[in-house]
Amino acid sequence: MDPVAAAILASWTLSLKAAGLATLVSALYLRGWLRLRAELPHKYTVGRLCAFAGGVVATLLAIASPVDTFSGFLLTAHMVQHMLLLMVGPPLLLLGQPVLPILRGLPRWIFKDALGPFLGCRELQSAGRAIVHPVVSWLALAFTIVVWHLPAAYELGLRSQSWHEVEHACFFLAAVLFWWPVVGVWPGHPVEPRWGMVPYLALADVVNTGLSAVLTFSDPVIYPSYRLAPRLWGISALADQATAGVIMWVPGSIAFLVPAVVLGMRLLEPGGRPAVRCAPALPRRAPRVFRPADLLRTPIFGSILRYRHFRRLAQTVMLSLALAVIADGLFGPQVAPMNLAGVLPWTYWRGLTVIALLLAGNVFCMACPFTLPRDLTRKMASPRYRWPRQLRSKWIAAALLATYLWAYEAFSLWDSPRVTAWIAVGYFLAALAVDSIFKGASFCKYVCPIGQFHFVHAMVSPFEVRVRDGAVCGQCHTHDCIRGSQQQRGCELQLFQPKKLGNFDCTFCLDCVRACPQQNVGILRVQPGLSLLEDRRGSGIGRLNRRSDVAALVLILVFGAFVNAGGMTTPVTMWMHRRHSLTALYLCALLVVPGVLATLCVWISQHWKRPAVTSKELACSFILTLVPLGFSMWLAHFVNHLLSLPGWMPPIELLFLGSGLLLTLYSTWRVACRVAADGRMALAAMCPWAALASGLYAAGVWIVFQPMQMRGMVMS
Amino acid sequence: MKNLTLLILACLWQSTAFADGGAVQLRSEAGGLAITVFTTPAPLTAGPIDVSLLLQDRDSLKPVLDADVSLLLRSRSTNCEIRATASHGQATNKLLYAAPLMLTESGAWQIAVSVLRNGKRAEIGGTIEVLPAPQMAASYWGYVAFPPLAIVGFAVREFLLRRRLKPKVRSCGIT
Repeated sequence: MDPVAAAILASWTLSLKAAGLATLVSALYLRGWLRLRAELPHKYTVGRLCAFAGGVVATLLAIASPVDTFSGFLLTAHMVQHMLLLMVGPPLLLLGQPVLPILRGLPRWIFKDALGPFLGCRELQSAGRAIVHPVVSWLALAFTIVVWHLPAAYELGLRSQSWHEVEHACFFLAAVLFWWPVVGVWPGHPVEPRWGMVPYLALADVVNTGLSAVLTFSDPVIYPSYRLAPRLWGISALADQATAGVIMWVPGSIAFLVPAVVLGMRLLEPGGRPAVRCAPALPRRAPRVFRPADLLRTPIFGSILRYRHFRRLAQTVMLSLALAVIADGLFGPQVAPMNLAGVLPWTYWRGLTVIALLLAGNVFCMACPFTLPRDLTRKMASPRYRWPRQLRSKWIAAALLATYLWAYEAFSLWDSPRVTAWIAVGYFLAALAVDSIFKGASFCKYVCPIGQFHFVHAMVSPFEVRVRDGAVCGQCHTHDCIRGSQQQRGCELQLFQPKKLGNFDCTFCLDCVRACPQQNVGILRVQPGLSLLEDRRGSGIGRLNRRSDVAALVLILVFGAFVNAGGMTTPVTMWMHRRHSLTALYLCALLVVPGVLATLCVWISQHWKRPAVTSKELACSFILTLVPLGFSMWLAHFVNHLLSLPGWMPPIELLFLGSGLLLTLYSTWRVACRVAADGRMALAAMCPWAALASGLYAAGVWIVFQPMQMRGMVMS
Repeated sequence: MKNLTLLILACLWQSTAFADGGAVQLRSEAGGLAITVFTTPAPLTAGPIDVSLLLQDRDSLKPVLDADVSLLLRSRSTNCEIRATASHGQATNKLLYAAPLMLTESGAWQIAVSVLRNGKRAEIGGTIEVLPAPQMAASYWGYVAFPPLAIVGFAVREFLLRRRLKPKVRSCGIT
């Protein structure tokens, strides 16, 4: 092949955005089409599927093929692009009757919960009918074509990529509106009289012909950019313009007139009526039994998780890594980026842990290396004592967590492989000591600060260890999931499965899964953050919304996320260097400021509308709703260190933060609705907390845009 | 709440890369070649930019694809220099030679293009004006704006739900 021709054919501009959107829409259509075809095979034919696929391909050809690449050089290429967007893509998409398949292809919660109120709104339905009225549709297309072909507007699109995309969006949307009444898209009322579509199309052709005649016969070049563009193969700008005009004229007229002729012929057939006019009646579906996804029942991953020695293997691997970190930290080079103790724990392990929390759940505790020596020791001697009743709270862990956050900055832990190694050694010894004396998983439940980090943030994870069928548990009298059996111990954290609340205090050890004789415990998909809203007593943890120790832990974690990330930004680092007040700063940022702000929010909530709960319950309930925001900051921060993709990180971090804010605000609203008597009171009660969350979000956005030290990264 | 996932996926498709082509900065003839230099973004700002070149045979205007192209950019104010090699591999439009660059500062930059083809060297040069970089936050306004938009959407949804169920339920616990 001629190298120039090969180069032209290789000049594609398919972006991730366009490819992803096309894939998503196609997948939704296909899913819905398959469902509808099972119910109405004569309506949702293969022809409709092919038409829709053709529309997607035509649209992609317009925006991503060499036609797009050369649209800045040749008006002819640009005209072909516009014809695809106006005359080919939209009518083919609409011939696929896409509305019902796409709606049926959406997950049920989106269709019913998110879109349902909008789809059922009378005003929106009326507005929808109005914009696809033939008069409006015709005017929309005519106006769009004429305005965008004015030299000023066309030049704007040629000079600016953003305006070029706006121009294409206008063409595409106007074409969808125009072809809507011609095709007769379901659901919708048919345009009557049907013959009205013939002048509708013919008049559109008049506009198209007028414009194309101007382009074809104009003597000066209308668009200056094409006069300035380098001429390929010596094609003059004027010849290029005339060719573009002819393309607009002839294929454009065919696109308008052929459907007009077809419609006319159908109407003239004796007793003939055009094809289906009304939305097909869908058969009523039987209510579906909702079965959430279960990780333990996934084909390969589920088998691995169910394997009896899986946890031991995972712990052994992690233990080996921990020993390598200790060895390298103690005896290796004391340069953090060149030492496992500087890289593995502070960059990779933390990043991978938060990603696991986001995608699955508390995976780290499942593979925790610190509890493996304990378990081996317990094979020789069992502990005799129970953890003191006075200490059965999260206060110790919260204090340790605050200390760690301070020490991380004060002693530059990320930069000290030897200190990191000693911390790991200390962790092993502490776990061994506590659990050699006290029964159960006392270290995990009451001491381990890492575990608390995972317990709290696993509440926004999408999977939860829980019972599959509550009715099965209702008939169970052995309660092996908590008591254990001869072969398998029960839950060491005293979480009774039927009464378990979310992932809090759950180490994902899967002891309960193996202990349950009915195999009624799984790792089920849940709504992230739902346990933050529930007002009930959870087994082993009580009512979370009345536990001040948990609230304090959450406050330290949430504010710690912003302080920890902010402490690595250049402005904060320079400020701290000048003041030498790290300890006071951390004391304020982790303890004083959160306490004062939370107290202030409670006071405002209480005195504004007086919800019918105590101040303590109000504070604990609302503080829990900050967990998603705090987690999003940890996620943004750690993933930034883990991935460090230039140009990609700010958007990813902002998306994490924005999602965290939205989930926090949603949770705040739900909690406010629970504690307040009506909507106004709820709004008033949530206001200070929403302001606090928005302030933290703003701080997070500021952090994202600051230069950040990439601590502990491997030297390149 | 679950639509957050969809929002995240939808927004991830926003691309930040520049395509090549763009505004014509220079055009000159040298060594039997017609050389056109383009830059993006338009207008040109400090930060990541794309410089691309179209080489054509001066007589037939047929694109020339077998040359070696190197670029030298020098800031007039600080004499900061950037050297790069432009290639088809880095270009979206495979008729062009492109080089992604990072301009550290705004102001006037001298650009020198050197083309080596069949042992002959052709050189052209000129000046390009670079505007100050846009605020980083401004570049990502879409990502910062999505929470307020989602909040407005949620508020409208709540309003529609409450209006529909008003005669039956007066509590706000509707989701």
